[in-house]
Amino acid sequence: MTSVRAIQRGMQYVLLIMLALFCLVPFAWVALSAVDAHAGPTVGAPAFTMGNFVDFFTEADTPRLLANSLIISVSATALNLACGILGAYALSRFRFRGRKFFMFSILLIRVIPPPATIVALYLMMVKMQLDNSYLGLILVEAAAALPITLWLLKGTIDAIPFELEEAAWMDGSTRLGAIHKVILPLVGPGLGAAAMLTFMAVWGDFLTPLVLLQDPDLYPLSIGLFRAFTAFNQVDWGVLAASAMVYMVPPAILYGFLRRHLLRSSLGGALKG
Amino acid sequence: MLPLLLGPSVVLIAVFVIAPAIYGVYLSLTNTQLTGFAARDPQFVGLDNYRNLLSSDEFLASLGHTGQFVFFSAIIGQTVLGMAAALLLRRTWLRGKGLFGAAILLPMVVPEVVASLTWASVLSPREDGTFNRLIGLFGGAAAAPLQESPMLSIIIVNIWRGIAFAMIMFQAALEDIPDELIEASRVDGAGAVQVFRYVTLPLIRGPVFLYLLLTTITTVGVFGLVYFLTQGGPGSATQLTSIYIFQHAFQYSQIGLGSAASVILLVILMVFGLTYVRLAKVDV
Repeated sequence: MTSVRAIQRGMQYVLLIMLALFCLVPFAWVALSAVDAHAGPTVGAPAFTMGNFVDFFTEADTPRLLANSLIISVSATALNLACGILGAYALSRFRFRGRKFFMFSILLIRVIPPPATIVALYLMMVKMQLDNSYLGLILVEAAAALPITLWLLKGTIDAIPFELEEAAWMDGSTRLGAIHKVILPLVGPGLGAAAMLTFMAVWGDFLTPLVLLQDPDLYPLSIGLFRAFTAFNQVDWGVLAASAMVYMVPPAILYGFLRRHLLRSSLGGALKG
Repeated sequence: MLPLLLGPSVVLIAVFVIAPAIYGVYLSLTNTQLTGFAARDPQFVGLDNYRNLLSSDEFLASLGHTGQFVFFSAIIGQTVLGMAAALLLRRTWLRGKGLFGAAILLPMVVPEVVASLTWASVLSPREDGTFNRLIGLFGGAAAAPLQESPMLSIIIVNIWRGIAFAMIMFQAALEDIPDELIEASRVDGAGAVQVFRYVTLPLIRGPVFLYLLLTTITTVGVFGLVYFLTQGGPGSATQLTSIYIFQHAFQYSQIGLGSAASVILLVILMVFGLTYVRLAKVDV
């Protein structure tokens, strides 16, 4: 290898290392303060303790935030998948008028920025008496992620040979029975990807719960962290950092599983936001 | 059978996604308030809200902020760094691809509240804030970035958050380019820059353009990341249109005005969106 080439490679390593540092350094505060007995708002060498995590799980209001986040995200994901798999099956196997229009319309929904509909949504939810409740938020979150789930699952079901279902019908299955026996076992990877995408979107959402929920007992982690951070005079930085760690672990792990499924562009587009 | 299968999805999307968009258009033509007299008895006011908005310096400034934010963070920053990352991670001799990739992905994967929280500590005005320590190393004086250059700060934060998305999109596009093509141009004596400019870039023009549309659309919708850090301030220096809508509707209770601002934002985005759907060329 010539020395010019070695220098070129070295420079490319330097570039990548700088990029990686830029991405990682901001996390230093969360990682260090979460295990620091005297954590403050800035980075410092920690006096190691797991006390912040113990506090997080034993304090009066913080476990509640985690429970709320789980209740909302799991329910919304379940509802989203239940509707999504039936709808995607219909979009994949039936030829009906308006099918194309429907598919493109829901693709266009991706374009609507959440802040642009949140005002009207809030007023509607108040009128339907669905504001300030788990149910209302779950319905909204499940609906918001449905276009992506439908697209993703329709693609997965398209790839399952129709003959398999016909064979099941021959054996006496009903249409729904065939969906249960043939489609569900084969749709696994797509369903897993849709589940993770939906879960992560709901888990990370900030604007919708901020607007729809007023009762602190219903707050998910996103709102709890925001309120704790903006309570300037009485911030417990250590617990705040520990909460942030607890909050970021599920999506970080899920993403590890999900990466392989997000190769192609239209699916990749589902991820951001 | 069909209504049973597709019905639940259609109802959910119609009620919680489509209806609010339509209801928003109606609200934008009224003087609806959250509280007070107009809350009980909203009046139809025609295009008054739109007239007020288009002659309001504050609203026009918010559109300007959003434009700046999208242009510098998404179109320039994320695209350039995402492309650099995608190209560098394709090098066959590179070691530690997995680690570099994971590091670049982390900012996108964490919830936006955590992203804001981490940057609040980096940009802290205190002398021991991460940023101030860094410029201290180079002999600079401590600064308060979120107060002194708020727009630049949130642009950098958003670049940080979006590099990974650009990288993923570009990696997918680059995979379709045959290696022989690059090698052939190398043999013909083209340098790395020339190869990128005359071979790689023309071949991935389509996906790059799609990415630019997509990132424009999502960046216009950014709310929490910025609101958490600055709440639109100081003054209204970082008041993006999304924050303008939130503040006017929910803090000043001007639902009608906020809805009109939403409609204007939607109309602007629909132009981008329709282009996106046409260019995406997805099969149904």
